[in-house]
Amino acid sequence: MNAFAARLTEALGADVVHSAPEDLAVFAFDAYAENRLPSAAIVPRNAREVGIAVRIAREMGEPVVPRGAGTGLCGGAVPHRGGVVISFARMNRIVELDVRNRRARVGPGMINLQLSQAIAQHGVFYAPDPSSQKISTIGGNVGTNAGGPHCLSYGTTTNHVLGIEYVDDCGEVHRTSIDDPGYDLTGVLVGSEGTLGIVTEIDVRLLKLPEQVRVCVAAFPDVESASEAVSAIIGAGIVPVALEIMDRLITQAVEAHYHAGYPEDAGAVLLAELAGSADDVAAAENILRDIAAKHGSLSWRAAQSQAERDALWAARKGAAGAIGRIAPNYYIQDACVPRTKLPQVMQQIDDIAREYDLPVGNVFHAGDGNLHPLLIYDRRDKRKVQAVIEAGSAILRTCIEHGGTISGEHGIGYEKREQLGLIFSEDDLAAMGHVRDVFDPKRMFNPDKIFPTGSVCGEVAKPLAV
Amino acid sequence: MIAHDDYRIGERAPARIERPTDAAAVAALLRTCAADGAAVVAFGGGTMQAFGNTPARYDVALDMRGIAEVRQYDYREMTIGADAGMTVAAFTRVLGEHGQFVPLDVPNPEQATIGGVMAAGWVGPRRMVYGRPRDLLIGSAAALADGTIARAGGMVVKNVTGYDVGKLYVGSLGTLGIITRLNFKALPRAATMRLATAVIGDDIRDRVVAAIGSLAAEPSAALIIDGFGEEPRVVVLIEGSDATVDRTTRDLRSALGRAGVAETTLLDGDAAERAFARIIDGYTAVVAERTITVRDAGLPSTVWERAQRALAAGAETIADLRTGDLIARFSAVEPLRTLLPRAVTIAGAPGLRAQTDAWGATPSTIAQMRSMKARFDPTGVLAPGRFVGGI
Repeated sequence: MNAFAARLTEALGADVVHSAPEDLAVFAFDAYAENRLPSAAIVPRNAREVGIAVRIAREMGEPVVPRGAGTGLCGGAVPHRGGVVISFARMNRIVELDVRNRRARVGPGMINLQLSQAIAQHGVFYAPDPSSQKISTIGGNVGTNAGGPHCLSYGTTTNHVLGIEYVDDCGEVHRTSIDDPGYDLTGVLVGSEGTLGIVTEIDVRLLKLPEQVRVCVAAFPDVESASEAVSAIIGAGIVPVALEIMDRLITQAVEAHYHAGYPEDAGAVLLAELAGSADDVAAAENILRDIAAKHGSLSWRAAQSQAERDALWAARKGAAGAIGRIAPNYYIQDACVPRTKLPQVMQQIDDIAREYDLPVGNVFHAGDGNLHPLLIYDRRDKRKVQAVIEAGSAILRTCIEHGGTISGEHGIGYEKREQLGLIFSEDDLAAMGHVRDVFDPKRMFNPDKIFPTGSVCGEVAKPLAV
Repeated sequence: MIAHDDYRIGERAPARIERPTDAAAVAALLRTCAADGAAVVAFGGGTMQAFGNTPARYDVALDMRGIAEVRQYDYREMTIGADAGMTVAAFTRVLGEHGQFVPLDVPNPEQATIGGVMAAGWVGPRRMVYGRPRDLLIGSAAALADGTIARAGGMVVKNVTGYDVGKLYVGSLGTLGIITRLNFKALPRAATMRLATAVIGDDIRDRVVAAIGSLAAEPSAALIIDGFGEEPRVVVLIEGSDATVDRTTRDLRSALGRAGVAETTLLDGDAAERAFARIIDGYTAVVAERTITVRDAGLPSTVWERAQRALAAGAETIADLRTGDLIARFSAVEPLRTLLPRAVTIAGAPGLRAQTDAWGATPSTIAQMRSMKARFDPTGVLAPGRFVGGI
């Protein structure tokens, strides 16, 4: 056992600390390609134990990397510099539920879907629903300001976090609230990818379940026409709860796996969810259906039961997994563009994939302009690996050229940090560096993430003197 | 030197007024002020300058109203980027032409600027339905004390690229930087807006509060107003499609009827909007320079109880049943502070405001906030002393 793991074990006990290489292997990766073993991993029971670990790490100059379920795409949870990984698998419960005031306090290890399932009996739900919600944690969702299909009308994680308890770089525990006077520390902690502090509890906002929900599926000849329909829907001032597109490749893969009833022969499928009163839902469906028809839809179908709705959503949210049936490896990109640019950007992504001779599948949050092109390849073919990296980069550049950005809901992590400079100037990054200096002057929390190498926010720069 | 009374904050007036016409000029001015140690307070319409304490030093008023253009607006995107000095009313009109809005819900929108109300951290009564202004902010730029302009976010509705620094400027009262541009996600306006008002006697108010809580469809806003120039009344704002609004109105009327309300008055469309705007104007109105008004944030379940205690002590109150905000107008600092120790000042006569800390209580994370201030404004020239804990 290394000295760091030994100190942690001495302080926290062997049931909290893992240090055997075979145990550490599960803390070495997320959904990104690169792995690295940490020196130790802990599974604490409370904020106090997190604080103890942070103090020891600080004394010994070791990095601290918080981890949810490891579903992030960008290496954000990978301990690139070793150190200790903190898993919140034991801090996974509802600590308080206040239905009357529509709030809940949860542990960061609480699985997203389990929260909504546990509170549904009270007629409320937690809105952010990343496709990974069956396994991803609310703490991880806070780290990446996760989105999901229903963010179109409900907003992303940051809009649903009312306060945070976190452990600072000295191991002290603090609590923030968006209702407290002062700077919005809650707002800046959300989406900070574990680089500012270790979140140990989250106060979330709950919403009332809608009276009626309708899920509709329209078939289109191609992705461009479906995208144009989405632009027209938003342009008409209609904001459904969700507006998702899957292309033929994805639709066929999910149908083979889920048999949810998506039209497999369509070039693209538009999935729309409407919620509200029965009258409003019926009226909105008529408008959507007309707009879809004007943009060349081939069919329109509304799910007739809760079971049918659930099946459609399960298939949509399982799309990335279903691709495993048809591809040895795939690489998912996450980018966001202004919504009217969707048809053009989709066309260009198609061109890029063709140029690099890579099959591409598209499954995305169309209403938000949040794209997830999926490049299919075989890792054993080194030329293809290189092509995937270059094509991914070309896709991001295309999105930036159209006024978009390089991450809609997964964050920058390790993968995209060098590209942050394509979005922000040195001055913009310097302001972010001030924030980092306040919370983590030693750069001990999740180093090598978000910021370009050598920028004032990153690890190379000297921390400023206080 | 002329006393610049229009820019006075508490007992202090600035020695100089600057009226920059672009963001670069704001940044350049801040750099000069930082070098000279001149304290700067940004000014929009001045409608929320009663927020925060009197600045410890105040040399330059930076009037932002010369920077007031819409920079980017394609209604089909439902996003808008505009200069901070634009008035809320002008901003709202631009969006309104395309049936869209950003629910800022501020008093005196003809004077108030979007940068000013965001810097003041204003939150309105419709936020349970539409989100807080900060939730609709998707990008921003701010001039910093070092003379740079720092951007955050962008023009897309989902964005996780770097820290969400834009949120730090919201509610910071210009103590970290001066907001120069704001990008928002716009929302479609509801087809119908209806304002239901009923006068309620003391004897039925508890029952009215319970009746509102029992409604199946949630109204956009529900306020119990005692004082503020009229008879005690309940005000309920209902928005949505015609069918939904009609149904909610029926439910509301019957619930209020059961609670003992004899008559409910309805206003629709523009009339409803104007009446609702007048109510919000009242939040920050000061009566004959003899009152002080605070906002006490809390849980919806406790707001009526807090309101009753304030009423018993002689305050005028607006109990916001949906958000939990209590707006309370007192004619003296005591019993205000004994009753509502954590409430923040939102309006008041300078003499009264000077008698109490505008922020009520100091948050437990004050050390991080001081450190934030030290990083962004090392020479302490941005509105010194205005903020929480003397920041």
